[in-house]
Amino acid sequence: MVGIFIIGILMLVGAVSVVVVRQPVHSALALIGVTIGLAMIYLILQAEFLAVAQVIVYAGAIMVLFLFVVTLLTAGKEEMEAEDTLSGQRWAGIITGLVVGLGLAVVIATHSPVKLSTALSGSFGGLHDLGHQLWGPYFAMLAGVALMLLTGVIGVLVLNRPDQVNYKSRLDLPSGVSLVDAEQEGKK
Amino acid sequence: MILEIVVLVVKILVLVAILMGGFAYTMLLERRLLGFFQLRLGPNRVGPGGMLQPIADALKMMLKEDMMPAGADSLVYRLAPVIAGFAALSVDAVIPFGAPIHLFGLTISLDIANPSIGLLLAFALSSLGVYGIVLGGWASQNKYSLLGGIRATAQIISYELAMGLSVMGVLLMSHTASLEGIVLAQKAQGWFWLPQIVPFLIFMVTAIAETNRTPFDLPEAESELVAGYHTEYSGMRFALYYVAEYINMITQSGLIVTLFFGGWLGPSFLPPIIWYFIKVIIAIFVFVWIRATLPRFRYDKLMSFGWKILLPIAFLYFVGTAAFVSGVL
Repeated sequence: MVGIFIIGILMLVGAVSVVVVRQPVHSALALIGVTIGLAMIYLILQAEFLAVAQVIVYAGAIMVLFLFVVTLLTAGKEEMEAEDTLSGQRWAGIITGLVVGLGLAVVIATHSPVKLSTALSGSFGGLHDLGHQLWGPYFAMLAGVALMLLTGVIGVLVLNRPDQVNYKSRLDLPSGVSLVDAEQEGKK
Repeated sequence: MILEIVVLVVKILVLVAILMGGFAYTMLLERRLLGFFQLRLGPNRVGPGGMLQPIADALKMMLKEDMMPAGADSLVYRLAPVIAGFAALSVDAVIPFGAPIHLFGLTISLDIANPSIGLLLAFALSSLGVYGIVLGGWASQNKYSLLGGIRATAQIISYELAMGLSVMGVLLMSHTASLEGIVLAQKAQGWFWLPQIVPFLIFMVTAIAETNRTPFDLPEAESELVAGYHTEYSGMRFALYYVAEYINMITQSGLIVTLFFGGWLGPSFLPPIIWYFIKVIIAIFVFVWIRATLPRFRYDKLMSFGWKILLPIAFLYFVGTAAFVSGVL
């Protein structure tokens, strides 16, 4: 129980610093800290597989890709304040946050804590149990998610397809002249 | 309870000591072997046969000035080698390096932990090692370091997929993700390298890529990037990167032995732990042999090799293994 509070505080500090810190790489680092904290909470809840999957997927893959982009973009290390393009977004954010916080506080204050069903099987969150759940009762959802991810992957391929027709029209090349020909013309 | 904690702490200290000693002498072994491969002697002046060379090297590293570039991000610059070292050391906690032994009425398993998801935990921890490289490269604020770090990110992400798929067959055959369980399954079914020969070869290739060794050492390609991500590092921080690299090699050798070559299993005239270490040393020798033989990949070739060749083959073999294990074939 104490562990959950300590990890929770660390995660909150991490989450706040993701937003507050000026250097994007530091934000990414704080976010990695949050994901690892979440994995630890899963571990405390004895969901071993979820914890490891959290680290492999989020800390091991997604955040690495984040860092890949962020390190490339911030290589100069100038700490610039981006221009506020959306006027009043800070106030809107603060007010929304306060309203949501107040709403949550009201709900917590008016509803007494109900003990949820704590009867979990011994292998809850383990590899075998999760596998049986996914391939048994939740197979349709699993197939749906797989299809959705596949659609996303194909979408990336289609959207990033090198489009030579567009190149030509942008350069105003006369029809029948390929890009290579035009380059050689230019060199002459 | 207290006895268990004492045993655990002792095991951790012994493991770290073995790994650090293993690191020092793996480096010496590699330098001597590279010497022999290139028809020269290698370091043989310090102590008998060069056996004290690692101590001399360590002393040199400790006495070097610890420098940091003026523009560097000091927090991340200091943190990065620590992350690399931590990720390298922690993976070994789940690798069993011997059959459980009986001592003072206690059964002591020769690993720090044996969780049911041991293999996945090893993957999760080793996947954190890339942060040490990419953050070190970025924090140095140096073009070559940055390029090295970025190359490492792309390379490790690409090869991790093929690596993960290549061990799926082992998981299917042993019906467990616990590394001790995998070794015990090989006791019953025979070592997995023969039925899983293609995944074994893919795992070998991806393990070299994960440890950033030749022919996949593009993050520190000295002919184009000075020294890659650790160009600016010196002294003990530089040494920590070296520790991480060599311990990663020992770890990957341990994983290869555990997953495909029966871990500590072997004829009973030698104790299991000796068999384990013999196999790991053979695997390390193969790593050095490959380094001495093959030239470096070109970067685009490396990427297309990972995505277009290794990944599809690993996937097809995985599907085939699944069909075989479930009885469809």
